[in-house]
Amino acid sequence: MELERAGTGNSGGIRKTKEVALKRLLVVSLMLILGVSLLGMAAGKVAVVLDVGGRGDLSFNDMGFKGTDEAAKDFGLQMVEVQCATGADYLPNLRNVARTGDYDLIICVGFLLGDALAAAAAEFPNQKFAIIDVDYITGPNIMNFVFRENEMSALIGGLAAMSAAYHGYSAAGIVLGIEIPVLWHFEAGYRFGMDWGLKAYASHEGAAKNVNLLYTYTGTFSDIALGKAASEAMLAQGAVGIYNVAGPLGVGDHEAVAEAHGNLGTLFGPPYFYGVDANQDFIGNGFHGIASGMKRVDTACYMAVEAVVKGQFKAGVISLGLKEGGVAISKVGDLADFIQFGIKGGSVNPDDFYTIIGNWAQNRATIPGWIWDAVDKLEAGILDGSIVVPTAGTGDQIAAVRAQYTLGAP
Amino acid sequence: MTENPVRESRLLRGVHRTVTGLHPALESLVAAIVGLLIGALLMYIWGFDPWKAYWALLRGAYGGSYEWASSLARGTPLILTALTFAICVRAGMFNIGAEGQTMIGAMAAVCVALFAAPTGLHLVIGLVFAAVAGALWSVVPAVLRVTRGVSEVISTIMFNWIGRWLALYLAIYVIVDPMRAEKTLTVPVTARFPILVRGTDLSASIFVAVGVALLVYFLLWHTTMGYEVRAAGLNPTAARYGGIRNKRTMIISFLLGGAAAGLAGATMAMGLPPSYAIFGGGGLPELTNLGFDGMAVAMVGRNHPIGILMAAVFFGGLNAGGRVMQFYGSNPVPLEMIRVVMGAIVLALAIPELIRLFPAIKRQGERLFAVLRRRRETRSKEGEA
Repeated sequence: MELERAGTGNSGGIRKTKEVALKRLLVVSLMLILGVSLLGMAAGKVAVVLDVGGRGDLSFNDMGFKGTDEAAKDFGLQMVEVQCATGADYLPNLRNVARTGDYDLIICVGFLLGDALAAAAAEFPNQKFAIIDVDYITGPNIMNFVFRENEMSALIGGLAAMSAAYHGYSAAGIVLGIEIPVLWHFEAGYRFGMDWGLKAYASHEGAAKNVNLLYTYTGTFSDIALGKAASEAMLAQGAVGIYNVAGPLGVGDHEAVAEAHGNLGTLFGPPYFYGVDANQDFIGNGFHGIASGMKRVDTACYMAVEAVVKGQFKAGVISLGLKEGGVAISKVGDLADFIQFGIKGGSVNPDDFYTIIGNWAQNRATIPGWIWDAVDKLEAGILDGSIVVPTAGTGDQIAAVRAQYTLGAP
Repeated sequence: MTENPVRESRLLRGVHRTVTGLHPALESLVAAIVGLLIGALLMYIWGFDPWKAYWALLRGAYGGSYEWASSLARGTPLILTALTFAICVRAGMFNIGAEGQTMIGAMAAVCVALFAAPTGLHLVIGLVFAAVAGALWSVVPAVLRVTRGVSEVISTIMFNWIGRWLALYLAIYVIVDPMRAEKTLTVPVTARFPILVRGTDLSASIFVAVGVALLVYFLLWHTTMGYEVRAAGLNPTAARYGGIRNKRTMIISFLLGGAAAGLAGATMAMGLPPSYAIFGGGGLPELTNLGFDGMAVAMVGRNHPIGILMAAVFFGGLNAGGRVMQFYGSNPVPLEMIRVVMGAIVLALAIPELIRLFPAIKRQGERLFAVLRRRRETRSKEGEA
């Protein structure tokens, strides 16, 4: 197969002479391309298929790319990235890649690819697949990865509620994307976390305080301006911070927070910005970003590639939570990691590395140690199973969670 | 201007003027070559091998029956949205509203999941739903244009947004699948277009698209009504002088275009495997940009139904081949670059038609400016008083 395709690509005398001419003009870059392709001939191949969100979100899709890329480098594989321009591209892209028969593993990043993967996996039973954020595809050749986003969202919710109470704010905000089951996990966890945080505050200070939840489903995962508008409205209603649960909208959320600081004339302290999926604490040079609810899509992709390389591929559902390192609240080491990732992608200036960490540390210092200790306590409780964070996968379940943790709603 | 005007008129009746004076088909070919060269230059500058990339594009688009089927499937909805734009251009208007009408049409088609009906009939009901919904969505801009002189460019763009958010609302909260909240209800098997080539997503919806294109051709070029529409488009004043009711032709062309766009939505909801549903949770990824891409297809096809059919095959191939360019051989090209190259090719192809339409575009602009100027004059008069 490989030889055959290489043969057709180089046939034809005219094209060959033109190729020679081109090579002379662009020796360096072509050597690079050739080098990569030669490497690829020898080793296996892995493909990562992204949905319409595509690269550049500093979040979900970039994480999928990052994890697969790292695994490909570590195990000496060639990696190919396939993006989808529209929903009509999902199944054709999977078929196109699968029918070559060259790929050891095809990773689908995102639940939107679920139906297409189910169809493609049935058509190509010998092709191994993995998918992120989907748990319902059965088949001997599919690894499903899901995350317990409710767990790290509870930590963010607890932090937000306690810091709101401490700084005298009346609310905490969460700006979400389109109302889909995956996002209900975040909302359910955040609600539980806020409730837990308010109780922890009451037991520490000896007096209870009310902090309301402000939440908006913006209906988009791409319109940054809508994220900013929703955040502005929440800040105007007294929100201590904004938890971004819509990937790229975080840029808009952060902008709203930064403008609020501009109006107050402050650099540190509330209002805060809470990132999602990736470590987004570095957005805006470390100003205002205080913690991110990280969902390690990269870890899942790495695990999938590793399993295939080591011959441990096992079909089924793998659930990743705090315990498995699949989700986490951001720490300083993660921040350094992701600044490096941002530098590599060109979105962060290399000279700003220490500035960002310095700003971030100063901002973190505006929240007293006992609150951070309480967040750690919540984390430990979830880890040892003594605290169970509710989640929601259906409309009825999220309605039940909303009814239990009303947080200021009538 | 052309060597054989009689044969030309038989080949592509209605295409009278060309920019270069060449035969329209030859003109398009020259434009395509220019576009491909620009695309090659762009890829060369950014360090990709243009020959290998174009080879991948060609193989991916028309390399075999699988590739042909994928290309035709990708082009099918674009035929319909292109017709929306083309019909209105023939009637002297710029209907940018196919995007919103497609989304509304798709939602109407999904509603067939709410009841049962025999195979075939169920499908037809869905098509009727979609066509009617698409046509209804174009009524308000049409009526505003006819009664109040509101620029259809502005009103249809606004209606695109209203349509998009309404469709999103319906998809997420109303006709949503309760077990899988990220998508709408699934269109039942009895209302689906059958797949024509196994292992691809080419469905029988292509017959609907081609059928509507031929119907539009017949209506516009072989009926009195079509003659009136085209006459009103070429010169509204002369047409009115000749006894043609311009308002009627405007409304008819808007409704026809809306129905075509609605059907485009139906082909996606009822003919796109494997989901046969629309994903509200992804922001309607199946439908986004169908209307706008359709405008480009119409331009490349010179706003003629037969030209649009050919342009849709080309566009479908460009998109299907673009998928393959991303991973084919030793020269993978990222999607962003592919879209830049595609943009260059499409722009080059559309320029002749854009220049031909320039007088009409200018007229639109002048009309808008006239409204603004009048308003400013009234305001300054009020100030004087």
